[in-house]
Amino acid sequence: MLRTTLKDLMARKRRLIRTALSIVLGVGFVAGTFVLTDTMNEAFDDLFTQVASGSDVIVRSVSAFDASEAGPGGGGGAERSPVPEDLVATVEAVPGVAAAEGGVGGYAQMVDPATGEAIGGVGPPTLGTNWNVVANASLELRSGSAPTGADDVVVDAATAKEHDLSVGQRIRILFQGPPGEFTISGVVGFGNADNLAGATLVLFDTPTAQRVLDREGEFDEIDVVAEPGVSEVELRNRIQQVLPDDVEAVTSAAVADEQSQQLKEALGFFRTTLLVFAFIALFVGAFVIFNTFSIIVAQRTRELALLRALGASSGQVLSSVVLEALIVGLVGSILGIVAGLGIAVLLQGLLAAFGIDLPSTSTQLEPRTIVVALLVGTVVTVVSSILPARRASRVAPLQAMRTSQEGAADGSLHRRLIAGGVVLGLGIASLLYGLFGNQSNAGALIGLGAAATFIGVSMLAPLVARRLAGAIGAPIRGLGVQARLGRENAMRNPRRTSSTASALMIGLGLVAMVAILSASLKASFDAALAETLKADFILSTSSFTPFSPDVAEQVAGVDGVQTVAQFRQGGFRVNDQTSFLTGTDPATLGAVTSIDLTSGSVDSLADDHTVLVHDLVAEDNGWTVGDEVPASFSTIGDTPLVVGGIFTENGVVGDYVVSLDAYEGFFTQQLDSFAMVTVADGADPAAVQRGIEAVTEPFGNIEVQDQAAFREKQAGFINQLLGLVTALLFMAILIALFGIMNTLSLSILERTHELGLLRAVGMSRRQVKRMVRWESVIIAILGAVLGLAIGIFFGWSLQQAIANEGVTELRIPAGQLVIYLVIAGLAGVLAAIPPARRAARLNVLEAIAYE
Amino acid sequence: MEAVPTRPDTAAARAVDLRKVYGEGDAEVVALAGLTLELAAGEFTGIMGPSGSGKSTLLHCLAGLDTPTTGKVYIGDVDLTELSEKKMTELRRDKVGFVFQTFNLVPTLTARENITLPLDIAGRDVDRAWFDQVVATVGLADRLTHRPGELSGGQQQRVAGARALVSRPEIVFADEPTGNLDSRSGHELLAFLRSAVTDHGQTIVMVTHDANAASFADRVVFLADGAVVDEMRAPTTDSVLDRLKSLES
Repeated sequence: MLRTTLKDLMARKRRLIRTALSIVLGVGFVAGTFVLTDTMNEAFDDLFTQVASGSDVIVRSVSAFDASEAGPGGGGGAERSPVPEDLVATVEAVPGVAAAEGGVGGYAQMVDPATGEAIGGVGPPTLGTNWNVVANASLELRSGSAPTGADDVVVDAATAKEHDLSVGQRIRILFQGPPGEFTISGVVGFGNADNLAGATLVLFDTPTAQRVLDREGEFDEIDVVAEPGVSEVELRNRIQQVLPDDVEAVTSAAVADEQSQQLKEALGFFRTTLLVFAFIALFVGAFVIFNTFSIIVAQRTRELALLRALGASSGQVLSSVVLEALIVGLVGSILGIVAGLGIAVLLQGLLAAFGIDLPSTSTQLEPRTIVVALLVGTVVTVVSSILPARRASRVAPLQAMRTSQEGAADGSLHRRLIAGGVVLGLGIASLLYGLFGNQSNAGALIGLGAAATFIGVSMLAPLVARRLAGAIGAPIRGLGVQARLGRENAMRNPRRTSSTASALMIGLGLVAMVAILSASLKASFDAALAETLKADFILSTSSFTPFSPDVAEQVAGVDGVQTVAQFRQGGFRVNDQTSFLTGTDPATLGAVTSIDLTSGSVDSLADDHTVLVHDLVAEDNGWTVGDEVPASFSTIGDTPLVVGGIFTENGVVGDYVVSLDAYEGFFTQQLDSFAMVTVADGADPAAVQRGIEAVTEPFGNIEVQDQAAFREKQAGFINQLLGLVTALLFMAILIALFGIMNTLSLSILERTHELGLLRAVGMSRRQVKRMVRWESVIIAILGAVLGLAIGIFFGWSLQQAIANEGVTELRIPAGQLVIYLVIAGLAGVLAAIPPARRAARLNVLEAIAYE
Repeated sequence: MEAVPTRPDTAAARAVDLRKVYGEGDAEVVALAGLTLELAAGEFTGIMGPSGSGKSTLLHCLAGLDTPTTGKVYIGDVDLTELSEKKMTELRRDKVGFVFQTFNLVPTLTARENITLPLDIAGRDVDRAWFDQVVATVGLADRLTHRPGELSGGQQQRVAGARALVSRPEIVFADEPTGNLDSRSGHELLAFLRSAVTDHGQTIVMVTHDANAASFADRVVFLADGAVVDEMRAPTTDSVLDRLKSLES
């Protein structure tokens, strides 16, 4: 039996490969995700090890948060206070210290001299630091010399290459404080690398760095080298004894670990997100496999019956099909791992296209990736084959004698209706419970619910597929006999048509849902802003990275500007959960936005320990005015705040608002996230805008936008997200198209005689191709229609679920959905190319030959 | 009823020194060994011979379904061996009708749609009067909206016969058309083919191994080893059987 299966497989290598293709892509996505994130992890490990390589012990102030508590992306959540400069001498005096040197680091962004645009910003940080021989032992001058005066700067080699910077050139650099002009004195690399994990870096001599990074008389850390024979741990313990209470000594290995740990957590989130898309692709792949095996089993009914007649047990038949699936799964998974290496590169390119630059090093293919990919691919394939295999095992020996009828239906309609209805009902229930039930495992409930909804709909689809395909094909009936035949072919086997279409339904459903969600987000955001935004101009950077408060200061001086309101955002913790705090001046807040308080007042912010809280957050926590918010900050630790007012959704500020003065006490970094400007009565807005643009121009990346432009930019941001998600769902759609291709190829195999007849009575090759194409288009549109219906339902329920988080408007972008439908139809044309070619090439004589 | 012009003097189809060889070297099989044959217009010709005699290959070559290794095939004045694949398809569509042994009909189309299939493929209008007449002759008027699955084997073959005639082809090829039918259905189909020749001057060539079927023809051609070995006019079942016996001995 085993040998029969293997021989059969070898004889049908093409079919094997085609079936495996859907698994190859799904597994490739999973493997690619692992490869990409592992490579990034490795890049960060490299980076931190390299950075730490120069020193043995690092002295720094204590942070209230563990590295793991800081939350993803830092966001100011893991800040530390500086240490006094004179601590260097104290540390140097400790026995066993060979050298100690202070280091400062902070925001410093170069402006390309050629274009006037700020360099970098999204993704890896833009860093400035002092030329610190101890800390930066891995630095290597590629050209020029170390910085020696207030005018000198050294830049990283990658930026120098990319932006054509050379020694002697003048360059403008942006800081938290006023920007400055410097002369490039040197270019550095890091061993073989041109930069550190994609970060841009500028280095100054120590006094200059302290000045431009606002650390006069202070250092962020002190880097210590041990004398030979003194261990890191020993040295750390000795140094700790001479340090004040709020300063700690840590081995540099521990710092490297902690930093890479922190980033790995952020990456873990990123990996999970990508894996969700990879598993969607695999889910679609499972549909394709299920469908392919169903068709193969149906076509082999006679062969299987013959085996049964010759004495094979039904168990043997079952295992022969499962064995075939096992082999397909293994082959597919192995090819998938290879494909994964390429997909990792594609993913990185895709993310880069959306402005997310990721650090890179040599590609990492870990054993775990191989094991997971093999396991996932094989298990998905085998599980998808079990139902068809069971069907195969039920073939009666007697069926060998009958002429096989295409698509002989088994399983009663009634049973299918009940089973499909139950699965669909449970799916929708789980989905809605997850969305509205406020469960801790909401994510899992929603995911399972969505999957069950798709499966349920696909089980019920055959009941309507015939009519639906007929209706979709109705307009083309007049386009000749080949169009009519294409429509008939799409209608003739409703089970096959609907399970083929179901694969596409999943991708389209999710794409439609995302489109509805983003349209609703945009509309809600617009509505909220229209209600609350009073500012005439909004200042922000193109990528929403924070910028120097100096900008606001400059703008305040422009003729015709009445108010400038600054907004800063930093991470802190409330009840051990990371949240974001907005800092703004209460005096200007009312001028730029109409903030509605249900209780308390904005003026309460005059007290530095007062916070305004969003009403929903207050409600969740049971806070009223005068209650205490258990806040904690990285630099100063637990700092309870008092609720001074409760406001309704505002669209400008987040969940928590404090005064700028308070904010300065809580955070070290003081960059504005955005600023808002009102124009004085009687001033010409256009002239004021020009004035603002003139003073912000030297900062390189500040955009000055009126309300309409700002809203457009926000919409652009959401569109970009929509584009990224759609691109990530592309794989699922691609697999579904392979599914259509597969079904059509198998159907054509089955309709050999019929095609032969059509060709014999004079149908041209072109007409045959058209016939196959129409069938494909109808199946694709059927899948798209089902998908859009589900997508609209998902989009609606999701919007309802997050309505009280500000997404109050439901928008169904009809035009966009119609475009998706048209694209699905065109994709159907593409999917039909190979099977149509095959059908057209059919040898007429062989096709009409009797068996 | 519109009379179909008959051309007794011209051949509807001709095969000249036809050779068809399958395979190469040791595996070489000669299906047709320099066969020459003329098929008169307006005649019902039967082709007989033992299996392997080349009768199916001859039919396929004459009908433009297969290309000979050497030699010429004409339908009317058209040399099939000169035609491109595309022209050959058009010729089959416009000038040739087919009745096969099985798989004659497209399962997704109704009887009516199957009958008009070659016309629909060509995008030509159906001659209503002629269609009605053909349908009436085969006795299918009340079955036109049925699909093949809802028709008996005999009815299916008669639909195929109607399809072969409805486009008024120059020549109809029938390949064992009664092979899968019971004798009554077979008789009905043969009577229908016969009347098409007698009443409408249709040219029909039929391959068969059934002497009774051959007796409906005007002329029977006997093949053996890829060549014409004998022929007979006005055949009867008995005379055909006798001739077959003598050929085998």
